[in-house]
Amino acid sequence: MAVDKKNIRNFCIVAHIDHGKSTLADRLMEKTGQVSERDMEEQLLDSMDLERERGITIKLTPVRMFYTAKDGEEYIFNLIDTPGHVDFTYEVSRSLKACEGAILIVDATQGVQAQTLANAYLAIDNDLEIMPVINKMDLASARPDDAARELEDILGVDASDAPRISAKNGLNIEEVLEQVVHKIPAPKGDDNAPLKALIFDSYYDNFKGVICFVRIIDGVVKQGTKITTFMSKKQFDVTEVGVFSPKMTPKDSLVAGEVGYIAASIKSIEDTAVGDTITDALNPAKEPLPGYKKALPMVFSGVFPLDGSKFNDLKDALLKLKLNDAALSIEPDNSTALGFGFRCGFLGLLHMDVIQERIEREFDLEIITTAPSVSYKVYKTDGTVLTVENPSKLPAVTEIDYMEEPIIKASIFTPPDYVGPIMELCQYKRGVYTDMVYLDKTRVELKYILPLNEIVYDFFDSLKSRTKGYASFDYEPCGYQKSELVKLDMLLNGDVCDALSVIVHKDKAYERGRQIAEKLKEVIPRQMFEIPIQAAVGGKIIARETVKAFRKDVLAKCYGGDVTRKKKLLEKQKEGKKKMRRIGTVEIPSEAFISILKTDNDK
Amino acid sequence: MAGIYVHVPFCKQKCTYCDFASFPKELGKTESYFACLYRELEGRGRALKDKVFDTIYIGGGTPSVVPAKFIAGVIRQIKKFFNLAENSEITIELNPGTVDEEKIKTYKSVGINRFSIGLQTGYDEQLKKLNRIHTAKDFLLACNLLKGENFSADILMGLANQTAEQVKKSIELAIAGGVSHISLYALTPEVGTPIYTDYLNGELLSDDEVADIYDSARKYLEEKGFFRYEVSNFAKKGFESKHNLNYWRRGEYIGVGVSASSFIDNRRFTNTFSIDEYMNAIIYNKNPEIDSAVIELEDACFEFIMLGLRTVDGINIKEFNQKFNKDFDSEYKSILLENGKYLDRDGFNLKIKDEYLYVQNTIITSFMK
Repeated sequence: MAVDKKNIRNFCIVAHIDHGKSTLADRLMEKTGQVSERDMEEQLLDSMDLERERGITIKLTPVRMFYTAKDGEEYIFNLIDTPGHVDFTYEVSRSLKACEGAILIVDATQGVQAQTLANAYLAIDNDLEIMPVINKMDLASARPDDAARELEDILGVDASDAPRISAKNGLNIEEVLEQVVHKIPAPKGDDNAPLKALIFDSYYDNFKGVICFVRIIDGVVKQGTKITTFMSKKQFDVTEVGVFSPKMTPKDSLVAGEVGYIAASIKSIEDTAVGDTITDALNPAKEPLPGYKKALPMVFSGVFPLDGSKFNDLKDALLKLKLNDAALSIEPDNSTALGFGFRCGFLGLLHMDVIQERIEREFDLEIITTAPSVSYKVYKTDGTVLTVENPSKLPAVTEIDYMEEPIIKASIFTPPDYVGPIMELCQYKRGVYTDMVYLDKTRVELKYILPLNEIVYDFFDSLKSRTKGYASFDYEPCGYQKSELVKLDMLLNGDVCDALSVIVHKDKAYERGRQIAEKLKEVIPRQMFEIPIQAAVGGKIIARETVKAFRKDVLAKCYGGDVTRKKKLLEKQKEGKKKMRRIGTVEIPSEAFISILKTDNDK
Repeated sequence: MAGIYVHVPFCKQKCTYCDFASFPKELGKTESYFACLYRELEGRGRALKDKVFDTIYIGGGTPSVVPAKFIAGVIRQIKKFFNLAENSEITIELNPGTVDEEKIKTYKSVGINRFSIGLQTGYDEQLKKLNRIHTAKDFLLACNLLKGENFSADILMGLANQTAEQVKKSIELAIAGGVSHISLYALTPEVGTPIYTDYLNGELLSDDEVADIYDSARKYLEEKGFFRYEVSNFAKKGFESKHNLNYWRRGEYIGVGVSASSFIDNRRFTNTFSIDEYMNAIIYNKNPEIDSAVIELEDACFEFIMLGLRTVDGINIKEFNQKFNKDFDSEYKSILLENGKYLDRDGFNLKIKDEYLYVQNTIITSFMK
């Protein structure tokens, strides 16, 4: 079937988290008859269990819909869902490049939020046509006029005819579909030019190899086309092309303007990096599409198997996840405390959480993760510069001239009532105030420069608790700054536990040391002997707690002959022990390593 | 030599901590239950006629709650169908609220030569709270009936608000009553018992408090000539319970009646916990066991260690090596090294040091493969 470009609309939906992106996507599919209401599992696009549970989108999933507009013409809609979370900004930007327009959803009860702004700017930067939609009209507290005014005042988007909808109840969805036809431009592109296809996502399929999600910019691709990419330069024969409806449906060809997938028995996802350009090997385009950027991990954490013998299983799991996740970085790591494992790099804390949970769920592996760290620059006295992501790899103090830590530009949206507590928090987190903008009577935007290492340490939780959840937060990296940093070590029964070391600002060392020691005292069970827990900086002890020895663990009166029951009780105890890690002489439960993060500084 | 355990699943009322198979409402089934018990004894005895038995333990429940003739019947059946050694130790558990002169007389006349009295505490208000049916005075009356006999008392630690002094006084009371043996148990709140609620509400003593009480009680008992031979058991020299020592030495025993466990020919098995199921099985010549397992070598080794290390004398390594055809020292090399400071080694004898006997689980568990 020939496709008329003027009847194609490629678009995405962007929004702040929970403003109804996935629900609207579901409604659009339902209205266009892509899925019947009955067959529909809530939020179709979020296909991972994890995504559905958390109400977030992690992997991109494009879907093709057919819509017969009021003008009588049939249009092809390619909706590319985007992740809503700050960690996945790069994933958002990739998918934006595949579109001509973006539906910008704003919650009528909450108005413009931090991620609304961040995502809208991303879309504008990518030259997308912004189509605002005001959602949640079914709620009594909806104030659509305010939301529309905010869109205009804050973003400069004309929201006068923005559809006022309820994605939940299906109110005014028709209007959204009509506006997509009229407001979002049809794709351009030349079918006869050499092939240029943008890879905006990919995943590994056990049977077909890597499946590349592509937007065809120019040219045509079909089964048998010999393709290559600009980054890898390797050549592959296309085995299948097709579209998402929403399941993968093979087609004869994909032409300029279309969104679909290409399979070409590609064995490694590294050969088809997201953002790279696919072209025809026999008739290549002169240059790739602009804007390719490698996703850089920002947050690093050690990942170790709970059961040391499962190292290879963990390796397999991480490699499989990496097949589908270009942003995940993996490096072998070796800890005295935890044995062999990996140092993994993540886009942010949510990304880290998601990967860890997927390892445990999809691969049924129990893991220990260490407190997240960031990437420090260490200027050594010998003139060399070292990048350190793992506190235990920090050189001796005598070899360090000075250090730099990554900083971020933070933007916090809040009702004015919470400005005080937020400023207090940011100051406590070593933030530097840069600006405060009163957006309207109900909203203030605070701008701060903050060290990333303070963000990875309970910033979200503190912000949430101080503002009763009303503040929203977004950030972008903005380089490095010189900082007085020290390595804080934790000693258990006299031995340093490398997996518990953290790099902190000098002024925070004492407080953090005390907090971690207190937390460890709570989570480390009493053992046969007394365990001193000490925090030390440069060999000097700065805090101490003690876990007392237990004095009774004998099995009481089971009737003497019931040996089987006694044995079972002991087996249970042994099982419990297996969940512990042995550090020197001390048994530590696996959650200890992450629990040190959860110290409460809002006391 | 082997032991015989006979379970009597009846009592007047349930104590708040009890999770044993004991059913006050089923007392009406006494006659038929014992008929079944006799029948099981006959069957088991015939099957085990090649083995010599030298201890009998009649436990419960409250064996003394049923008319003495039933107990006499049990002994009669055992003597008839089992190969019972001369001078066997024959013990019965007594509740002070259910004994009288006649009963004791009957017990003695059929050969019962050891008595285990459930005292639990010498304080009437605590007894009442535990839903015991007797007072401290009843205990002394029972002791009086047992004058000159070999008898033991059970005492509990860890009751709500209990002090070390109270436990000491309870021990004093038992000694005044003339006991030759004392079992000193820590109260264990089992799920499903009324006391579990107290435990959840933090009303019972903490492990540390119990450990303190235990330490002071142990000292007191030793001053009075009662020596610890197992973590919870104290006796005057020569008055240790042979029946219990047999368990800890991993000797054989046959358990008869509801919920009774057995260890015979390297097989462990347990009878059903339901009186009706049990009686049905016996009447229709079916197997009353609900659980049966042949013990593999590795498990057997662990059992030997687990049970033996409960006793003050510990285990004999030569015996271990001969029994299991292994070399103990190379088998457990790293574990022995790691736990060295908690263990005493004297030639072929290995035991947990006195001061660590009360934290033995962790030590014993490390021997588990």
